[in-house]
Amino acid sequence: MKVYVTGFGIISALGMGAGPTLGALFNRQSGVGPLRWLETMHSHLPCAEVPFSTQELRNMAGVAQDKIITRTALMGILALREALEMALWNEHKPLDPVLISGTTVGGMENSERFFMDFISPDTSHDKYILAHDCGVCTQMIADHCGHFDMLSTLSTACSSAANALILAADMIRTGRASTAVAGGSECLSRFHLNGFNTLKILDKDPCRPFDNTRAGLNLGEGAAYLVLESEESAKARGVKPICLLSGYGNACDAYHQTASSPEGDGAVLSMTKALKEAGLSPQQIDYVNAHGTGTANNDESEGKALMRMFGADSVPPVSSTKAFTGHTTSAAGSVEAVISIMALLHDFLPANLNYSNPMEMLSFIPVTDEKPLRPLSHVMTNSFGFGGNDTTCIFSKI
Amino acid sequence: METLILDLKKQIIEALNLEDITPDDIDTNAPLFVEGLGLDSIDALELIVLMEKQYGIKLEDPGKSKEIFRSVATMADYISKNRKK
Amino acid sequence: MKKITAYSRITDSLVILNGKPCEITFSCEPGPGRLAEIYRFLESGYPKFFKMDNLSKAGFLASEMVLRSLHYDMESPDESTAVVFANRSSSLDNDKRFQETISREDYFPSPAVFVYTLPNIVTGEVAIRNKILGETSFFILESFDAEKMMIFVDWAFASAGTRRVLCGWTEYLDGHCDVLVMMVEKESDQGVDYNKQNINNIYIT
Repeated sequence: MKVYVTGFGIISALGMGAGPTLGALFNRQSGVGPLRWLETMHSHLPCAEVPFSTQELRNMAGVAQDKIITRTALMGILALREALEMALWNEHKPLDPVLISGTTVGGMENSERFFMDFISPDTSHDKYILAHDCGVCTQMIADHCGHFDMLSTLSTACSSAANALILAADMIRTGRASTAVAGGSECLSRFHLNGFNTLKILDKDPCRPFDNTRAGLNLGEGAAYLVLESEESAKARGVKPICLLSGYGNACDAYHQTASSPEGDGAVLSMTKALKEAGLSPQQIDYVNAHGTGTANNDESEGKALMRMFGADSVPPVSSTKAFTGHTTSAAGSVEAVISIMALLHDFLPANLNYSNPMEMLSFIPVTDEKPLRPLSHVMTNSFGFGGNDTTCIFSKI
Repeated sequence: METLILDLKKQIIEALNLEDITPDDIDTNAPLFVEGLGLDSIDALELIVLMEKQYGIKLEDPGKSKEIFRSVATMADYISKNRKK
Repeated sequence: MKKITAYSRITDSLVILNGKPCEITFSCEPGPGRLAEIYRFLESGYPKFFKMDNLSKAGFLASEMVLRSLHYDMESPDESTAVVFANRSSSLDNDKRFQETISREDYFPSPAVFVYTLPNIVTGEVAIRNKILGETSFFILESFDAEKMMIFVDWAFASAGTRRVLCGWTEYLDGHCDVLVMMVEKESDQGVDYNKQNINNIYIT
């Protein structure tokens, strides 16, 4: 059974919505820069914050001042609303809608702000504990967007949103749902900024994916959701499908808790599965939106996997868009899925920013020219999470 | 130096959760990584934290730390010359 | 016909394999110490166990029991087994530990602790130990829910190459352990039928 994309929504450091995101990609305007909202002693580290304060997000989402809400949930609400609007959700309500959302941070940025209050006798901020939980985050997003028959929360680190997409697709293919909205949301927090910093994989400068001098990643934040439906559901609701989620695969690298295997074994498996699912040969892939974090380990591992997958001399155009959006962690899978879909629809290759020096061990260089040699029919996007959780999705023109 | 080496072994055991290993089990001159104790990249990062926490030594570049962390002996030597605590 | 071919249960007071209590006598109170005692009882011979956080330790031990009882081949890379776990508290037990390392008074964030501030690392640990290359995932649920767990298992089986799913509920928080791990096989004539009632019966044991 085919799985169609009938709507998508996105918020990131590039702005709110598909329009500003596309504009930034075309104009090579990176969202990476100095921190404006997160209060941290590491303010020298470039990050990619959504360009709105939490109060501004609350106003944009129309959430009343007295309601407990988190930055993660607010971004999720805004991205989800855009997706639902595009899919004509309210005009033609689906029968049995499902929402699957990926997050790891959840309400952490509230919890860490009020942590000392929680453990003090002062109970005035204790209500924020209720907003900490990942599942509650999904509930908050759903409560402000519409009715869903089933909610599910998934937490597999940086592949969370991508895994949400493939769970949604499988639910549709196996007849458990006719319409499923999937994606993820994650805001910056001191907790994981400190954590990535202690792993020494943050670049003190804007990141340089697939560059020989790369020195790490820049953390970002954002949210994105896709509306997925069966052909029958799209017809019944009178919605025009945008593209197909034609193939996907998840595999375990089984090498290390946080590092990828040197030859990219897990990545080869997930890409192979996705191609098989889509019924495509490697030569039919027109663009790969790589995980491409800019760390020494990932880009070498993923680069080698791409060479193994496509042949050293026939790797398709590859770019990482993390120099635009930062690494949006649990939301990366859906943020980059939306970017990949926009590339597909507009026949352009998002540039791999900040690139100058070819990586010595790779046979290819990333995209530096947005014009593809041929119109795009099939695009692939990779998201690899800690725990060796590797996911690949393929989107195809109808 | 003997006291430093013994203290360092105890600190390494605690910091890296090396259960069932005593200071006597750690050969002062044996490699810490790959062979010997078979430590990995996360262990290397924890040793960087240990250097700062216990001895006030800040090591910013994990790559340059390779020689310092070659063995307990090389660690102790570096600490004795650079410690601030 | 899908079957549950092996299952294990670890709680604060019980260690059960395929319905039979293990003959283990705890010398310490419920908490992390008991996880170490179960490890020694199983004689796993895997020192990396001691680097894991409590959630990973608990999920690892329950998986060890199930996989060893099935004589699972842990040497050959296996793409046909998936690992799908769920819990309520995510990695909160260890998140609190990491938060302590970044508290203002004593600022030394621990990389080894940060690694485990993700609930799905436990699926990675099981995969690394047993060379499992299939699909892995981790879900957050309000409470143990056999029906929802079956949706996640079915998701894993939707992939053509998946023949087995190691699935479970791996809840660990503040010294309290509530873990159930079971192997669901696509085609088997051993074990009990894979259905909601049997899963609930195993859980309430």
